[in-house]
Amino acid sequence: MIELRDIHKSFGPKAVLRGFSLEVRAGETLVMLGRSGTGKSVTLKMIVGLLRPDTGAVMVDDVDVAGAPRAALRRVRRDVAYLFQTGALVNWMTVRENISLPLVERRELRPRAIRERVDESLASLDLLEAAEQFPAQISGGMRKRAALCRVLVQQPRAILYDEPTAGLDPILSRTVADLISSVQKTEDRTALVVTHDLDLAFSIADRIGLHHEGQLVEVGTPDEFRQSQHPVVRAFLDGKDAQTQGARP
Amino acid sequence: MGALTDVLEAQGRAARGAVLQAGFCVSVLGRSIACLVPDLRRRARFVLDQLVVAGISPLPVVAIVGIFTGMILALQIGVELAEYGQGERVSDIIGVILFREMGPFMTAMILTASVGSAMAAEIGTMSVSEELDALECLSIDPVSFLVMPRILALAIMAPFLTLVGNVLGVLGGAIVCRTQLSIPPSVYFQNVIDSLRTSPDSPFGILPEELWSGTIKSVIFGVIIATVACSAGLKAQGGAIGVGRAVRGAVVSCFLLVIVIGYYLSWAFFR
Repeated sequence: MIELRDIHKSFGPKAVLRGFSLEVRAGETLVMLGRSGTGKSVTLKMIVGLLRPDTGAVMVDDVDVAGAPRAALRRVRRDVAYLFQTGALVNWMTVRENISLPLVERRELRPRAIRERVDESLASLDLLEAAEQFPAQISGGMRKRAALCRVLVQQPRAILYDEPTAGLDPILSRTVADLISSVQKTEDRTALVVTHDLDLAFSIADRIGLHHEGQLVEVGTPDEFRQSQHPVVRAFLDGKDAQTQGARP
Repeated sequence: MGALTDVLEAQGRAARGAVLQAGFCVSVLGRSIACLVPDLRRRARFVLDQLVVAGISPLPVVAIVGIFTGMILALQIGVELAEYGQGERVSDIIGVILFREMGPFMTAMILTASVGSAMAAEIGTMSVSEELDALECLSIDPVSFLVMPRILALAIMAPFLTLVGNVLGVLGGAIVCRTQLSIPPSVYFQNVIDSLRTSPDSPFGILPEELWSGTIKSVIFGVIIATVACSAGLKAQGGAIGVGRAVRGAVVSCFLLVIVIGYYLSWAFFR
């Protein structure tokens, strides 16, 4: 469903992606691990057309996102939703307004139908009590759930999760991991999850890949990944940052 | 030689940045105008919110500045004119100066400092916290969603606030004329009304030239302030420092544009 082919991307003199390739199959949950600042979020932003690669192709189904006209990009963004690391809720709108926003903007449903779908979504994520509050008035965990709710209410075919457990305590991280897991299993959605949280990765992934120095160095099932002898993977799993930096694939 | 090259390079970079930002502002204004008619209905609530923010919140400041500007003008000019036995003419001068220049100018300064800076900070914060990216992902155009309502609101409220400032300025002048210069209010107000000229060639009929020229100026200043402030916010990057930089850039640019464009508008209206 999503394929990135030989992507190169630099910001000034800094090359972030160097021949990066990746395929996410329809219905699977692929987790992309990697240290902070290796370009994982850049990869996600390319898939929804927020950034363009210097060279290479970003395919979502048959659409090359990098050169897609606005209408095609709009279709891609309907199919592929993005859960931002910070939640990125509009801070001057209530939780309910934030979650209704994509449906209101699309103008395909009547206000009553929007309200019903939003209420259903709020209830499913246990957010009904926070519906009339502003993002600044709720906890970090609730903001994450509200952001996930805004993603789910659009009923996308695929979801890109950018560090979904970043900044959360272990209990909340577990809750978010369970939530993602249940969303993926019950709805049979495609997911690409970017994280450096190993517990999250092994609990939700169908396949796991490691992002290192602008490339995906290893992709496999959780068991294959855990048993990999690739020096960069071993260094990452053992938490040896210095080795990860020094290791070469 | 190396230091000179560095200075020139830095100046060149700054000039290039300024030209690019100016181009971006023009593009944002164009996109806002383009989406005004098709999107106005569904953005009506945001426009109303912004009308309150842009029009009601700066009202006390505009009122105080307006009254005291009128009082200062009356005191400074009145005392000088009284020495030549022309004390009553102070009202003519206050009317003309306030309605033509000072009203639109000081309202624009207040709007820049209070509303424009807030717009740059709000949108800049949204930019650095990925909220603008999130809007793009939802296929929502940030210009239609955030910028157009702000430009429209300021274009409507700037002339309203200018009129309030002008009227209160005239009243402030009347207080000083009555208490310090012994000019009766009836004479003062009659002179102010007489000073506002109506011309048979006026494109706005019986409206005094000072009134419509000041109103047009205020609308233009309102559009400039909102456009520059929102554009700076949209381009903000790099966390809190980036937001601070965007706000500072927006305020400085608005001050400069208001004074330079204000001169050329005066030249166009009254040459």
